[in-house]
Amino acid sequence: MAVSTRLPILGGPDGEGSVQVHLNPEDKITGALCIAVYGKGGIGKSTTSSNLSAAFSHLGQRVLQIGCDPKHDSTFTLTKSMVPTVIDQLETVDFHSEELRTEDFVFIGYNGVMCVEAGGPPAGTGCGGYVVGQTVKLLKEHHLLEDTDVVIFDVLGDVVCGGFAAPLQHAHRAMIVTANDFDSIFAMNRIIAAVLAKSKNYQVRVGGVIANRSADTDQIDRYNNVVGLTTTAKFPDLDAIRRSRLKKCTMFEMDSSDPAVKAVQDEYLACAQRLLDGVPPLLIQPLKDREIFDLLGYD
Amino acid sequence: MQLTLWTYEGPPHVGAMRIATSMRDVHYVLHAPQGDTYADLLFTMIERQDKRPPVTYTTFQARDLGGDTANIVTRAVQDAVDRFKPKALLVGESCTAELIQDNPGSLAMGMGLSIPIVPLELPSYSKKENWGAAETFYQLVRTLLLERSKMKEARPSREGRRPRVNLLGGTILGFRCRDDIAEVTKLLASVGVDVHVSAPLGAEPDDLRRLPDADANVCLYPEIALTTCSWLQRTFQMPTITTVPIGVGATRDFIAEVGRVLNIDVSAVLGGEVPGQASLSSSQSRMPWYSRSVDATYLTGKRVYIFGDGTHVVSAARIASEELGFKVVGLGTYSREMAREVKACAEKYGVTALITDDYLDVERTVAELQVELVLGTQMERHIAKRLGVPCAVISTPIHVQDVPARYSPQMGFEGANVIFDAWVHPLMMGLEEHLLQMFREDFEFGDGATPSHLHSVAPVKPEASSSAMAVELTSAVSIPVLAEPASAPELARTATTVAEASGAPVVVEVGAPVWSPDGEKELGKIPFFVRGKARRNTEKYAVAQGIALITTETLYEAKAHYGR
Repeated sequence: MAVSTRLPILGGPDGEGSVQVHLNPEDKITGALCIAVYGKGGIGKSTTSSNLSAAFSHLGQRVLQIGCDPKHDSTFTLTKSMVPTVIDQLETVDFHSEELRTEDFVFIGYNGVMCVEAGGPPAGTGCGGYVVGQTVKLLKEHHLLEDTDVVIFDVLGDVVCGGFAAPLQHAHRAMIVTANDFDSIFAMNRIIAAVLAKSKNYQVRVGGVIANRSADTDQIDRYNNVVGLTTTAKFPDLDAIRRSRLKKCTMFEMDSSDPAVKAVQDEYLACAQRLLDGVPPLLIQPLKDREIFDLLGYD
Repeated sequence: MQLTLWTYEGPPHVGAMRIATSMRDVHYVLHAPQGDTYADLLFTMIERQDKRPPVTYTTFQARDLGGDTANIVTRAVQDAVDRFKPKALLVGESCTAELIQDNPGSLAMGMGLSIPIVPLELPSYSKKENWGAAETFYQLVRTLLLERSKMKEARPSREGRRPRVNLLGGTILGFRCRDDIAEVTKLLASVGVDVHVSAPLGAEPDDLRRLPDADANVCLYPEIALTTCSWLQRTFQMPTITTVPIGVGATRDFIAEVGRVLNIDVSAVLGGEVPGQASLSSSQSRMPWYSRSVDATYLTGKRVYIFGDGTHVVSAARIASEELGFKVVGLGTYSREMAREVKACAEKYGVTALITDDYLDVERTVAELQVELVLGTQMERHIAKRLGVPCAVISTPIHVQDVPARYSPQMGFEGANVIFDAWVHPLMMGLEEHLLQMFREDFEFGDGATPSHLHSVAPVKPEASSSAMAVELTSAVSIPVLAEPASAPELARTATTVAEASGAPVVVEVGAPVWSPDGEKELGKIPFFVRGKARRNTEKYAVAQGIALITTETLYEAKAHYGR
């Protein structure tokens, strides 16, 4: 694998007297390439994640997709069902995690992709980050990460709190899904700020942008040029993608004799290959909210 | 977290020690303070090994904590490698050392040693001994097979040789592993199957490297080997044989599974086995015949309680219920990892499984259920002794007497013979109910009589004072053999009756009948091994009749009632 998974931590350790809680080194994922997929709510993170997982599996990789959204709808196009979440299963054994078996919370989906839904507390309560942490710990204990090549975290809509940023502690690259519109680029800017904050203590770096549901990318390009971001893949607003969700399948199970479908499949494969080859870590500064407000729009 | 005097399992690093000690040419550097070296005694004193375990302790002391403890680790690793020249090195820390976070595994990995290093991360405060053993075995196997696992090799050809399997899971300080491996090896030979590697017990690192050359893995002890078996199955497509051959029925099932998985004809061996039929010619084990012979009728319906590790409990429940005709009135395990299997097993016998690592929970349950035989661990032996109930040990943790010098497997047909003897002897064979009726007035069967086999050691009993007598007579099923002063809990149990005898007011739980002193005294005349049943039946009768105080009359009315 070309991508270096070891990067120096920026700025050295925390200053004297810091009470910053660090990830337990034993919970660190070693070996696999870890990608966290972020983006504004409803932008197509789950669609992108599952299709990327499918693409990685077609490239011969052993893939694990972890849905980190309490609505646990990340992996259904892979598994064709709403699988029980890690939290559901922990509840059945009264949180004695020793009683759980791998097959209780890992489900083999399309083309051998391993699927996990972390689940989480009801909206407005509890801590989603805790759930992601427990899930990673459980996956490690069950030795699932040792024999996996690619781990994809599909994260809840936005970085709303430190907890939901938990996948950033494990990921090497954060990929941001956005459309060519103000709201999702505005959200992307805030995600970049979160990644930058985490990169002080963790190896996570922004990997690039995935333009989704967009024929044009002029606004994205404008933002990219200012902050130094690159677009890794582009997907048009294709009806076949919408239909694939309703058919509860990945794009790789859609009719590939349709040239538009074939083009999307190829783009997912190309994106997966680029990530495998190693996208350069981008050390970028987000814009101030006012700056981005002025930047986007028509001249 | 709770303070306790005794635990079923040690911390996970003891599990790692068991793996290292079971093998040859493996050494374990354990970052641990001086006090943790006590664990050596388990191997030399209980398992009676003729050498110390292959463990180098860093034995840091209080004054080292002010300096560089990490340095102590690298020095210990280098010394161990130079002195013992192991072919693989395990590096980890004890529960105490985990707190100073030196991460000895990473330190050793960074030393550039030429032998395989297996860094062990065993979370001492959330996991226990068996998990530690399973994890260590898995990490060792995976480290040694990592290169091979990437080659995507085909399964070995069966051309021109007998089928062969690995026996996985046997360890030092396991329950009768040494003899089980010998017995299962014989059993497999009888169906034409060779044992390729037995591990960890008796293996060396090079043996682990050739595990994938076998046709299947036999998961003898799932607590230790299941993680490794499933990894070998995922990585090398090696099928796992999962039936644990403890008991006649399970041994037959095991042979059938071996036949199925290896696609061989096992009818020559299974053909002589006639399930459900009892005669010396219908099985290779004497257990089916012995347990159905006329002299064994007293086994039928004995109330038995089973507690231990998951594998042995599930096996024991099947034997007790299907092969000996006992009634399983309760079961449980301390193995959280096996809770699922044990719960399913309990459901089969209509009881609720007790999943706990607190021996006081077990003691309470055994007392409440008024059992007639306990099958358990070393701890249940103590519990049963305190309660005056017969007991046989079926599972780890064990004491020195459970590592016998003679051949005494649990698995296979010979294992079933051993089990028959071990479980039935504590039940006082020869004292069947019809004999009791004939000899009940005989002085030898009185409560005060010392069993003949303990005659030479039993202390002379002083003339009991009347209150001590009352305690003696009223304790549920006291065996005078112990001839010890009644323990505190025993006294507490009998306090009600004693208090009543001394005329003190008694607080009575509504609905529960109370024994009058004369009723209790009369009950004491009933031989101890049927006294529990008499007490239960009388109480049941009293509840049914709405009688609050059980007198001598009630006792005989109940006897007459149930005699009808």
